[in-house]
Amino acid sequence: MEKEIILSASHLKKSFRTGKKGLHIGKKGSHTGDNNLVHAVDDVSLEVIKGETLALVGESGCGKSTLARLLMRMINSDEGSIYFEGKEISHLSERKMRPYRKKMQMVFQDPASSLDPRMKIRDIIAEPLIAWNVYDSKAKRDDRILELLNLVDLREDCLDRYPHQFSGGQRQRIGIARAIALNPDLLICDESVSALDVCVQAQILNLLKSLKQQMGLTCLFISHDLAVVSFIADRVVVMKNGRICEMAPASQIYSNPGHEYTKYLLSSVPRIKEYD
Amino acid sequence: MNDDKLLEIKDLTVSIKQEKEMMPVVNGIDITIPDHSIIGLVGESGCGKSMTAKSINHILPSFAKITSGSMLWHEPSGQVCDLVTLKEKDIRKRCGTDVAMIFQEPMTSLNPLMCIGDQIKEVLMIHKLEKSQDRAKARVIEMLDAVEIPDPAVRYRAYPHELSGGMRQRAMIAMAMIANPKLLIADEPTTALDVTTQAQILDLIKKMCETHSMSALIITHNMGIVSTLCDYVYVMYLGTIMEEALTDELFRNPMHPYTRGLLSSIPRMGDNPEFLETLPGNIPVNKEKFRGCRFCLRCSDDIKKCFFEEAPLHKVSDDHYVRCHVAAGKED
Ligand SMILES: Nc1ncnc2c1ncn2[C@@H]1O[C@H](COP(=O)(O)OP(=O)(O)O)[C@@H](O)[C@H]1O
Ligand SMILES: Nc1ncnc2c1ncn2[C@@H]1O[C@H](COP(=O)(O)OP(=O)(O)O)[C@@H](O)[C@H]1O
Ligand SMILES: [Mg+2]
Ligand SMILES: [Mg+2]
Repeated sequence: MEKEIILSASHLKKSFRTGKKGLHIGKKGSHTGDNNLVHAVDDVSLEVIKGETLALVGESGCGKSTLARLLMRMINSDEGSIYFEGKEISHLSERKMRPYRKKMQMVFQDPASSLDPRMKIRDIIAEPLIAWNVYDSKAKRDDRILELLNLVDLREDCLDRYPHQFSGGQRQRIGIARAIALNPDLLICDESVSALDVCVQAQILNLLKSLKQQMGLTCLFISHDLAVVSFIADRVVVMKNGRICEMAPASQIYSNPGHEYTKYLLSSVPRIKEYD
Repeated sequence: MNDDKLLEIKDLTVSIKQEKEMMPVVNGIDITIPDHSIIGLVGESGCGKSMTAKSINHILPSFAKITSGSMLWHEPSGQVCDLVTLKEKDIRKRCGTDVAMIFQEPMTSLNPLMCIGDQIKEVLMIHKLEKSQDRAKARVIEMLDAVEIPDPAVRYRAYPHELSGGMRQRAMIAMAMIANPKLLIADEPTTALDVTTQAQILDLIKKMCETHSMSALIITHNMGIVSTLCDYVYVMYLGTIMEEALTDELFRNPMHPYTRGLLSSIPRMGDNPEFLETLPGNIPVNKEKFRGCRFCLRCSDDIKKCFFEEAPLHKVSDDHYVRCHVAAGKED
């Protein structure tokens, strides 16, 4: 079957001026001649295939979040192009970009800071539905909200409560419900399970996997945790200092890594010994 | 494991003030730390790991108090002293020389306004372990070298903000180690670090324990760290020890449903189940007093008894104990 490419990037570059001077012993970042210039994303090309979960892994500061923000056009690149379903979106105006915004949604690491504390859960989930005017009646919209709650395994009595009344895991479910409300084609999860305790993390990972199956979601999954990635990803991109050093199917990354840096990362993970 | 005891925590209860009531967050736990051993304390966030650690050095926050128990410190001479009843000034004397502590965030123990070398030297001077400033400085540089900070003589003058997270953690370990403590308490020492730096710091802690014949209490939520570092493990849930065993025994034969749930929730590289087997629900937040087993609400093995009677710690073997009616029943 022909692979359908949903999102692709070619030779993306983005650098930041940091203004920091002086000695930064052992600090990472790909500094070059100019001491204050960080090449956060440095000539990255990749393709996201429809229906897959593509993971971006690498140590903090390697450029994962910057790459995600570039791909979503939350920030503009210095160089390079981005294509969504074959159409270039790198230079679209905000108005022309609007239909694409609906198709790409993001789930963040810290649900607490991405949910408005003064809004009830009902209104948080309704917000994108209202902004995009998806339903012509309130009744239809309310039906959709209930459906979404059901999809993320939250009970109906959540609706009239506020974010602070929920645990971290439940807030992440709310963030996911909001992100999938518009039936996006692509979901970007930036360290979405990193702050959660293992049991809740496992619940959210299971939820993401089953949503992907139910909705045919494509997912760009960003994480620094190689074990988490091995559970969820179909393909893996390993980044270092703003560059891609290896891109391969997950099974290959874990059983037969090609790049020295991938091997180093894998060997650093503290593993639970195998017992039979 | 060694049979000679270094620290015996017995029936330790730590409570926090909530409105007018004192609410226990650590419930009568027993932990024994033998000489020359690395002990793990694992559990999810909020279960009471840090409160346990902080009570050893009397650095609990003002709203928390030790409400019962003892912490028996065994001197090499054979003398035993209870750290709980020690006066503030005697505890300060011991901090660093007997028990040292490192944290997740090095900035909580490093002074941002002082170069790292001088801060570490201060520990030697305060405890009067060195009279000569020059010799003290030489010892600090030696220690910076031992924790594998490159160019130690130059780095002596570095301020904390000039160092990366990993280097700062090394500086904090150097400060903890400088007075040759017998016990290192490490509270999530690598949680904020990248995985490659984490591996280096864990190696360093292990090496320091060996070369300085020191024991360590490693507090973590990461079972991989427990597996690679610890000799013996305590599993904590809502302030109570649910299971304890030699590390290999715990991973090979976890008996408490909570331990089993924790272990099966962890994704493992190279082993890809369709879905992870995890525990349902969340850790209860409103901590009403429990009559029965505090894990009961999330347990799939529970029997009637679990609701109204807390299980005692059942001995499975000399190296394995479990607090569960059902697991204990299966044993008999
Ligand atoms: N807005 C910004 N201003 C300055 N530097 C930035 C900014 N965003 C990111 N960076 C720098 O770019 C690099 C990559 O950051 P980031 O994409 O956040 O990495 P990651 O998500 O992999 O941890 C880092 O060195 C970071 O300090
Ligand atoms: N700053 C605080 N204010 C109120 N309660 C606290 C605070 N810190 C801790 N607690 C209480 O003490 C319990 C144990 O906390 P702690 O020992 O820090 O857990 P851990 O280190 O295992 O994550 C928490 O569940 C919480 O109820
Ligand atoms: Mg990031
Ligand atoms: Mg803690």
